[in-house]
Amino acid sequence: MRPVARSAIATGLVLLVSQSGATAEADQGAQLAATCASCHRLDGGGTGIPSIIGLGEERLTNALLAYRASESSNHIMHAIALSLSDEEIASVARYVAKQGSNPR
Amino acid sequence: MKSWTRREFGRLTGAALLTALNQPKARGQAKARVVVVGGGIGGATVAKYLASSATAVDVTLVEPRQSYTTCFFSNLYLAGLRPFESLGHGYEALARQYGITVIHESAAAIHPAAKTVALNNGSKLSYDRLVVAPGITFRDRALEGYDDAAMEIMPHAWNAGPQSKLLRRQLESMEDGGLFLIVVPPDPFRCPPAPYERASLVASYCQHSKPKAKILILDAKDKFNAQDVFQDAWNRHYPGMIEWLPAQFTGGVTAVDPKTRSVITAGATFKAAVTNVVPAQMAGRLAQQAGLTDQSGWCPVDPVTFESALQPGIHLVGDAIIGGDMPKSAFCANSQAKACAFAIAADLAGSARFPAHLFNTCYTYLAPDDAFSNAISFKPVDGKLKSVISFVSKVEESSEVRRQAARAAEGWYDAFTHDVFG
Ligand SMILES: Cc1cc2nc3c(=O)[nH]c(=O)nc-3n(C[C@H](O)[C@H](O)[C@H](O)COP(=O)(O)OP(=O)(O)OC[C@H]3O[C@@H](n4cnc5c(N)ncnc54)[C@H](O)[C@@H]3O)c2cc1C
Repeated sequence: MRPVARSAIATGLVLLVSQSGATAEADQGAQLAATCASCHRLDGGGTGIPSIIGLGEERLTNALLAYRASESSNHIMHAIALSLSDEEIASVARYVAKQGSNPR
Repeated sequence: MKSWTRREFGRLTGAALLTALNQPKARGQAKARVVVVGGGIGGATVAKYLASSATAVDVTLVEPRQSYTTCFFSNLYLAGLRPFESLGHGYEALARQYGITVIHESAAAIHPAAKTVALNNGSKLSYDRLVVAPGITFRDRALEGYDDAAMEIMPHAWNAGPQSKLLRRQLESMEDGGLFLIVVPPDPFRCPPAPYERASLVASYCQHSKPKAKILILDAKDKFNAQDVFQDAWNRHYPGMIEWLPAQFTGGVTAVDPKTRSVITAGATFKAAVTNVVPAQMAGRLAQQAGLTDQSGWCPVDPVTFESALQPGIHLVGDAIIGGDMPKSAFCANSQAKACAFAIAADLAGSARFPAHLFNTCYTYLAPDDAFSNAISFKPVDGKLKSVISFVSKVEESSEVRRQAARAAEGWYDAFTHDVFG
């Protein structure tokens, strides 16, 4: 059995790591979303290029996965999605989905 | 945050220890000062993303002009498809919304040892980090006879502004049946497809206003990107109107004569009603003077942080850098600027850096309702920026797809300028 003190420290460590993990995830999401902002207005405005605000995390994730799988609908989004890992797709979708509720 | 005892510290693993140590460092420090010289696409983007990053940074942007005129879409203005004013963007949002100190002055000199920038008005700015994004300048004596006075007669219109207006006036007052001549410089130069987009849109204007006019392109190269897409469009939209002469036919342009508005090649002299001379280019003057360029005339940089390979603590983005496979485009300048801003912010905060994503997307007009696009992603490989994924429109694309691209391009302009200038 583990000594009590050690497991307390272990819990502390996990907390610290997961906290900085969450911040890191948000930072990564923000950095990836900066790429979106070159073509999509993140304040929800704009015309000509579809808005990505207000779509929700799941739709964004599915859209990116579909763009990654096929060139046919849009070669720009295909090139972008191909450069993203699953983890990056998840983190950018989560970040962009949050922008809708809090427009700047 | 939890305060750690000495004993607990001793038990932390290396990685966790780093995280724990870095956080108070970021909080305890005074705000770092970042000076950005050049408020064009690259510089304005770096300033905005640094100012809005989670790291507290004091950002100063140095740019002589009150309003920036975009080169992109200036070919539409030239063809009468867009008002000049629609190309202008001020710095008010960057100052007001993002808290950036905007100084409308030119930087005269950089003193890396003292970490200061001297401005033309005699004042000095101190920095912890400096970002330089001066764009391009023209090579002296690249074309015999093409000096400042010649530019007023045979405009380049390769920096948007008064030069664009001059070229537009000349095109408007050209007689029907006149020759519009475009001289294309050797690589590398700002926006590789833009000379051919210009030829396309000038032809589109002439088709309505001066149907007997001709457009002649004298190239310093023997081929160009998306050549098949351009030439297909020229045949469809403007049969017989645009002629392209590669260097192998002419020997290349060696001189100009402003008095007769003519262009001299090894084998012949071409005289035109309007002569648009795009001269050979290199990194902006300030980069040359500050020792940021190598023998090529461009600035070598680290492809991850965009820090100068020649002067530590100074970063460079945009047209001025040796971009490897990245073309000199506004999109690339913006993409590099974000990678650079995030790298500087992470460095100042001592936090982790994420792999940057570098892209180029470009919409190019072949006619007002016919545009094509490309998309390329880049990665640093062995110290160079390499293209890893690349797609470009094909000749056989439907006219509906092209019409949609022309509409998307308008949306891109709006979103992109909003991304850069707030
Ligand atoms: C006709 C044409 C069409 C184009 N079309 C497209 C397009 O469709 N898509 C695209 O992506 N790109 C396009 N481009 C390319 C694009 O305009 C450039 O790649 C882009 O502007 C580069 O950004 P930059 O920040 O490096 O330079 P710039 O935008 O030129 O900015 C440089 C800035 O630095 C300032 N500066 C210079 N020296 C100093 C100093 N000493 N002190 C202070 N400030 C200084 C200047 O005033 C300027 O504002 C086009 C270019 C042309 C000519």
